[in-house]
Amino acid sequence: MDETDLLNRIRHHPENFSEVFSLYYQQIFGYIIRRTGSFDDTADIAADTFLKAFRNINNFRYTGISVKVWLYRIATNEVNLYFRHKQKHNSVFERMDIEDNTIFKNYIADDRIEIESELRRHEQFLSVQKELKTLPVKYQEVIALRYFEGKENKEIVEILNINEGTLKSLLSRGLEKLRQKCNQF
Amino acid sequence: METQDFEKKLSEMTKPEMPQLKHENMLANAIINARDKSVVSWWWLSVPVFIILMLMMKSTFMPVTTLISNMHELESSQKYMSLIFFLISPVVLIIINVASIRKIYLLSGSPKSFHFLGSAWFNILIISVSILILIIYSL
Repeated sequence: MDETDLLNRIRHHPENFSEVFSLYYQQIFGYIIRRTGSFDDTADIAADTFLKAFRNINNFRYTGISVKVWLYRIATNEVNLYFRHKQKHNSVFERMDIEDNTIFKNYIADDRIEIESELRRHEQFLSVQKELKTLPVKYQEVIALRYFEGKENKEIVEILNINEGTLKSLLSRGLEKLRQKCNQF
Repeated sequence: METQDFEKKLSEMTKPEMPQLKHENMLANAIINARDKSVVSWWWLSVPVFIILMLMMKSTFMPVTTLISNMHELESSQKYMSLIFFLISPVVLIIINVASIRKIYLLSGSPKSFHFLGSAWFNILIISVSILILIIYSL
Protein backbone atom coordinates (compact mmCIF):
# COMPACT_ATOMS: atom_id res chain seq x y z
CA MET A 1 0.00 0.00 0.00
CA ASP A 2 1.23 3.49 -0.85
CA GLU A 3 1.52 5.42 2.42
CA THR A 4 1.69 8.81 0.70
CA ASP A 5 -1.69 8.08 -0.82
CA LEU A 6 -3.11 7.06 2.57
CA LEU A 7 -1.69 10.20 4.24
CA ASN A 8 -3.18 12.41 1.52
CA ARG A 9 -6.56 10.75 1.91
CA ILE A 10 -6.41 11.27 5.69
CA ARG A 11 -5.47 14.94 5.19
CA HIS A 12 -8.55 15.52 3.03
CA HIS A 13 -10.89 13.16 4.89
CA PRO A 14 -9.77 12.50 8.51
CA GLU A 15 -12.22 9.58 8.78
CA ASN A 16 -9.76 7.59 6.61
CA PHE A 17 -7.60 7.34 9.74
CA SER A 18 -9.67 4.23 10.50
CA GLU A 19 -7.46 2.48 7.88
CA VAL A 20 -4.40 3.14 10.08
CA PHE A 21 -6.37 1.60 12.92
CA SER A 22 -7.25 -1.52 10.92
CA LEU A 23 -3.64 -1.95 9.82
CA TYR A 24 -1.77 -1.35 13.06
CA TYR A 25 -3.99 -1.22 16.19
CA GLN A 26 -3.80 -4.94 16.93
CA GLN A 27 -0.01 -4.95 16.43
CA ILE A 28 0.61 -1.88 18.61
CA PHE A 29 -1.79 -3.16 21.29
CA GLY A 30 0.17 -6.44 21.33
CA TYR A 31 3.49 -4.58 21.65
CA ILE A 32 2.20 -2.52 24.60
CA ILE A 33 0.70 -5.48 26.48
CA ARG A 34 3.89 -7.51 25.96
CA ARG A 35 5.71 -4.67 27.69
CA THR A 36 3.25 -3.77 30.48
CA GLY A 37 1.39 -7.03 31.09
CA SER A 38 -1.71 -5.08 32.20
CA PHE A 39 -4.81 -5.05 29.99
CA ASP A 40 -6.32 -1.85 31.42
CA ASP A 41 -3.10 0.16 31.18
CA THR A 42 -2.50 -1.21 27.69
CA ALA A 43 -5.98 -0.15 26.54
CA ASP A 44 -5.33 3.39 27.82
CA ILE A 45 -1.80 3.64 26.41
CA ALA A 46 -2.87 2.25 23.01
CA ALA A 47 -5.80 4.68 22.81
CA ASP A 48 -3.52 7.58 23.76
CA THR A 49 -0.97 6.47 21.15
CA PHE A 50 -3.55 6.51 18.36
CA LEU A 51 -5.13 9.76 19.59
CA LYS A 52 -1.71 11.45 19.43
CA ALA A 53 -1.05 9.90 16.04
CA PHE A 54 -4.42 11.15 14.73
CA ARG A 55 -3.77 14.68 15.97
CA ASN A 56 -0.27 14.78 14.48
CA ILE A 57 -0.59 12.75 11.31
CA ASN A 58 -0.41 15.85 9.12
CA ASN A 59 3.02 16.75 10.58
CA PHE A 60 4.30 13.24 10.05
CA ARG A 61 5.02 13.50 6.30
CA TYR A 62 8.49 15.06 6.80
CA THR A 63 9.97 12.29 8.90
CA GLY A 64 11.01 9.82 6.19
CA ILE A 65 9.91 6.85 8.33
CA SER A 66 6.92 4.55 7.85
CA VAL A 67 3.61 5.01 9.68
CA LYS A 68 4.24 1.69 11.46
CA VAL A 69 7.66 2.80 12.77
CA TRP A 70 6.15 6.14 13.81
CA LEU A 71 3.34 4.41 15.76
CA TYR A 72 5.89 2.15 17.47
CA ARG A 73 7.87 5.29 18.35
CA ILE A 74 4.87 7.03 19.93
CA ALA A 75 3.83 3.82 21.73
CA THR A 76 7.40 3.33 23.05
CA ASN A 77 7.44 6.89 24.43
CA GLU A 78 4.06 6.36 26.08
CA VAL A 79 5.11 3.04 27.65
CA ASN A 80 8.39 4.55 28.87
CA LEU A 81 6.46 7.41 30.49
CA TYR A 82 4.20 4.83 32.15
CA PHE A 83 7.22 3.00 33.60
CA ARG A 84 9.11 6.16 34.58
CA HIS A 85 6.19 7.64 36.48
CA LYS A 86 5.29 4.23 37.94
CA GLN A 87 1.64 5.17 38.10
CA LYS A 88 -1.56 4.24 36.40
CA HIS A 89 -1.93 5.85 33.00
CA ASN A 90 -4.57 8.60 32.92
CA SER A 91 -7.54 7.13 31.14
CA VAL A 92 -7.95 8.61 27.68
CA PHE A 93 -11.44 7.09 27.52
CA GLU A 94 -12.66 9.70 30.02
CA ARG A 95 -11.64 12.44 27.58
CA MET A 96 -13.53 10.96 24.65
CA ASP A 97 -17.16 10.69 23.75
CA ILE A 98 -17.80 7.03 23.01
CA GLU A 99 -21.00 6.67 21.02
CA ASP A 100 -22.47 3.76 22.98
CA ASN A 101 -20.55 3.45 26.22
CA THR A 102 -22.31 0.28 27.42
CA ILE A 103 -21.52 -1.67 24.26
CA PHE A 104 -17.94 -0.34 24.33
CA LYS A 105 -17.49 -1.46 27.96
CA ASN A 106 -18.85 -4.90 27.06
CA TYR A 107 -16.39 -5.17 24.16
CA ILE A 108 -13.54 -4.12 26.45
CA ALA A 109 -14.63 -6.73 29.03
CA ASP A 110 -14.71 -9.46 26.33
CA ASP A 111 -11.27 -8.43 25.05
CA ARG A 112 -9.90 -8.41 28.61
CA ILE A 113 -11.08 -11.99 29.26
CA GLU A 114 -9.60 -13.26 26.00
CA ILE A 115 -6.26 -11.45 26.34
CA GLU A 116 -5.74 -12.29 30.01
CA SER A 117 -6.39 -15.93 29.21
CA GLU A 118 -3.85 -15.71 26.34
CA LEU A 119 -1.29 -14.16 28.71
CA ARG A 120 -1.76 -16.98 31.24
CA ARG A 121 -0.88 -19.54 28.58
CA HIS A 122 2.67 -18.14 28.36
CA GLU A 123 4.13 -18.61 31.83
CA GLN A 124 7.77 -18.45 30.75
CA PHE A 125 7.11 -15.19 28.90
CA LEU A 126 5.41 -13.71 31.98
CA SER A 127 8.42 -14.60 34.18
CA VAL A 128 10.83 -12.92 31.75
CA GLN A 129 8.52 -9.91 31.41
CA LYS A 130 8.32 -9.58 35.21
CA GLU A 131 12.13 -9.43 35.46
CA LEU A 132 12.46 -7.18 32.41
CA LYS A 133 10.15 -4.63 34.03
CA THR A 134 12.67 -4.22 36.87
CA LEU A 135 15.39 -3.04 34.45
CA PRO A 136 15.80 0.61 33.34
CA VAL A 137 13.51 1.49 30.39
CA LYS A 138 16.48 1.93 28.01
CA TYR A 139 17.12 -1.83 28.31
CA GLN A 140 13.43 -2.76 28.41
CA GLU A 141 12.67 -1.09 25.09
CA VAL A 142 15.52 -2.68 23.11
CA ILE A 143 14.97 -6.18 24.55
CA ALA A 144 11.19 -6.02 24.06
CA LEU A 145 11.53 -4.84 20.45
CA ARG A 146 14.23 -7.41 19.63
CA TYR A 147 12.98 -10.53 21.41
CA PHE A 148 9.25 -9.96 22.08
CA GLU A 149 8.44 -8.24 18.78
CA GLY A 150 11.14 -9.97 16.70
CA LYS A 151 12.28 -6.71 15.10
CA GLU A 152 15.53 -6.49 13.14
CA ASN A 153 18.20 -4.03 14.28
CA LYS A 154 17.49 -1.73 11.31
CA GLU A 155 13.87 -1.28 12.37
CA ILE A 156 14.73 -0.87 16.08
CA VAL A 157 17.20 1.95 15.38
CA GLU A 158 14.47 3.69 13.37
CA ILE A 159 11.87 3.26 16.11
CA LEU A 160 14.17 4.45 18.89
CA ASN A 161 16.02 7.03 16.76
CA ILE A 162 19.43 5.77 17.93
CA ASN A 163 22.47 4.49 16.04
CA GLU A 164 23.31 0.82 15.58
CA GLY A 165 26.36 0.93 17.86
CA THR A 166 24.25 2.26 20.74
CA LEU A 167 21.62 -0.42 20.08
CA LYS A 168 24.18 -3.25 20.14
CA SER A 169 25.69 -1.95 23.36
CA LEU A 170 22.26 -1.56 25.04
CA LEU A 171 21.21 -5.05 23.88
CA SER A 172 24.40 -6.65 25.12
CA ARG A 173 24.31 -4.98 28.55
CA GLY A 174 20.54 -5.40 28.90
CA LEU A 175 20.67 -9.10 28.03
CA GLU A 176 23.38 -9.72 30.58
CA LYS A 177 21.40 -7.94 33.30
CA LEU A 178 18.22 -9.83 32.38
CA ARG A 179 20.08 -13.16 32.26
CA GLN A 180 21.37 -12.61 35.79
CA LYS A 181 17.83 -11.90 36.98
CA CYS A 182 16.37 -14.91 35.15
CA ASN A 183 19.09 -17.44 36.02
CA GLN A 184 16.57 -19.62 37.82
CA PHE A 185 15.22 -21.06 34.57
CA MET B 1 23.57 -20.05 31.60
CA GLU B 2 25.60 -18.46 28.80
CA THR B 3 24.30 -15.24 27.27
CA GLN B 4 24.00 -16.89 23.84
CA ASP B 5 21.85 -19.73 25.24
CA PHE B 6 19.74 -17.19 27.06
CA GLU B 7 19.34 -15.16 23.88
CA LYS B 8 18.24 -18.31 22.04
CA LYS B 9 15.70 -19.08 24.77
CA LEU B 10 14.28 -15.58 24.55
CA SER B 11 13.92 -15.86 20.77
CA GLU B 12 12.34 -19.29 20.89
CA MET B 13 9.94 -18.91 23.83
CA THR B 14 6.29 -18.48 22.89
CA LYS B 15 4.80 -15.02 23.23
CA PRO B 16 1.17 -14.02 23.70
CA GLU B 17 -0.50 -13.12 20.42
CA MET B 18 -3.33 -10.64 20.07
CA PRO B 19 -6.74 -11.73 18.78
CA GLN B 20 -8.92 -9.41 16.69
CA LEU B 21 -9.99 -6.82 19.26
CA LYS B 22 -13.72 -6.20 19.54
CA HIS B 23 -13.39 -2.61 20.81
CA GLU B 24 -11.14 -1.54 17.91
CA ASN B 25 -13.75 -0.04 15.55
CA MET B 26 -15.64 1.86 18.27
CA LEU B 27 -12.37 3.30 19.57
CA ALA B 28 -11.32 4.34 16.06
CA ASN B 29 -14.61 6.23 15.63
CA ALA B 30 -14.27 7.87 19.05
CA ILE B 31 -10.73 9.05 18.27
CA ILE B 32 -11.68 10.40 14.84
CA ASN B 33 -14.59 12.33 16.41
CA ALA B 34 -12.64 13.43 19.51
CA ARG B 35 -12.46 17.13 20.20
CA ASP B 36 -9.44 18.63 21.91
CA LYS B 37 -10.54 19.52 25.44
CA SER B 38 -7.79 21.93 26.40
CA VAL B 39 -7.70 23.26 29.95
CA VAL B 40 -6.39 26.60 28.64
CA SER B 41 -9.24 28.64 27.23
CA TRP B 42 -8.30 30.76 24.23
CA TRP B 43 -10.58 33.44 25.67
CA TRP B 44 -7.94 34.24 28.28
CA LEU B 45 -5.49 35.08 25.51
CA SER B 46 -7.90 37.67 24.16
CA VAL B 47 -7.41 39.87 27.27
CA PRO B 48 -3.69 40.74 26.75
CA VAL B 49 -4.27 40.89 22.97
CA PHE B 50 -7.09 43.39 23.56
CA ILE B 51 -4.85 45.56 25.78
CA ILE B 52 -2.02 45.55 23.22
CA LEU B 53 -4.38 46.38 20.35
CA MET B 54 -5.93 49.18 22.40
CA LEU B 55 -2.49 50.68 23.09
CA MET B 56 -1.50 50.32 19.43
CA MET B 57 -4.67 52.07 18.30
CA LYS B 58 -4.13 54.83 20.86
CA SER B 59 -0.58 55.40 19.63
CA THR B 60 -1.81 55.43 16.01
CA PHE B 61 -4.71 57.83 16.44
CA MET B 62 -3.19 60.13 19.08
CA PRO B 63 -0.26 61.80 17.31
CA VAL B 64 1.68 62.88 20.41
CA THR B 65 1.88 59.35 21.88
CA THR B 66 3.86 56.22 20.97
CA LEU B 67 3.31 52.58 21.86
CA ILE B 68 6.19 52.70 24.35
CA SER B 69 4.92 55.86 26.04
CA ASN B 70 1.41 54.39 26.27
CA MET B 71 2.75 51.20 27.80
CA HIS B 72 4.70 53.18 30.40
CA GLU B 73 1.66 55.37 31.07
CA LEU B 74 -0.36 52.25 31.81
CA GLU B 75 2.50 51.01 33.98
CA SER B 76 2.40 54.14 36.14
CA SER B 77 -1.36 53.97 36.61
CA GLN B 78 -1.78 50.15 36.78
CA LYS B 79 1.56 48.80 38.03
CA TYR B 80 0.50 45.20 38.75
CA MET B 81 -1.79 44.91 35.74
CA SER B 82 0.98 46.07 33.41
CA LEU B 83 3.36 43.54 34.98
CA ILE B 84 0.83 40.80 34.23
CA PHE B 85 0.17 41.96 30.67
CA PHE B 86 3.66 42.93 29.54
CA LEU B 87 5.93 40.66 31.53
CA ILE B 88 4.25 37.61 33.09
CA SER B 89 1.84 36.83 30.21
CA PRO B 90 4.50 36.96 27.45
CA VAL B 91 6.92 34.81 29.50
CA VAL B 92 4.18 32.23 30.23
CA LEU B 93 3.11 32.23 26.57
CA ILE B 94 6.72 31.70 25.45
CA ILE B 95 7.13 28.73 27.83
CA ILE B 96 3.79 27.16 26.80
CA ASN B 97 4.51 27.55 23.09
CA VAL B 98 8.11 26.28 23.28
CA ALA B 99 6.77 23.20 25.11
CA SER B 100 4.05 22.87 22.47
CA ILE B 101 6.59 23.04 19.58
CA ARG B 102 8.72 20.39 21.32
CA LYS B 103 5.65 18.17 21.67
CA ILE B 104 4.78 18.65 17.97
CA TYR B 105 8.42 17.81 17.09
CA LEU B 106 8.45 14.62 19.16
CA LEU B 107 5.03 13.46 17.98
CA SER B 108 6.00 14.15 14.38
CA GLY B 109 8.67 11.48 14.83
CA SER B 110 11.59 13.89 15.44
CA PRO B 111 11.95 14.91 11.76
CA LYS B 112 15.43 15.94 10.63
CA SER B 113 14.16 18.80 8.42
CA PHE B 114 12.67 22.08 9.59
CA HIS B 115 9.61 21.73 7.35
CA PHE B 116 7.59 20.58 10.34
CA LEU B 117 7.85 24.15 11.72
CA GLY B 118 5.15 24.99 9.17
CA SER B 119 2.81 22.99 11.39
CA ALA B 120 3.84 25.08 14.38
CA TRP B 121 3.48 28.49 12.69
CA PHE B 122 0.89 29.70 15.20
CA ASN B 123 3.16 28.83 18.15
CA ILE B 124 6.08 30.61 16.45
CA LEU B 125 3.88 33.68 15.84
CA ILE B 126 2.82 33.80 19.52
CA ILE B 127 6.48 33.46 20.64
CA SER B 128 7.57 36.26 18.28
CA VAL B 129 4.80 38.62 19.45
CA SER B 130 5.59 37.80 23.10
CA ILE B 131 9.29 38.54 22.57
CA LEU B 132 8.38 41.81 20.83
CA ILE B 133 6.18 42.84 23.79
CA LEU B 134 8.98 42.01 26.24
CA ILE B 135 11.47 44.08 24.21
CA ILE B 136 9.11 47.07 23.95
CA TYR B 137 8.30 46.85 27.68
CA SER B 138 11.97 46.76 28.64
CA LEU B 139 12.81 49.89 26.59
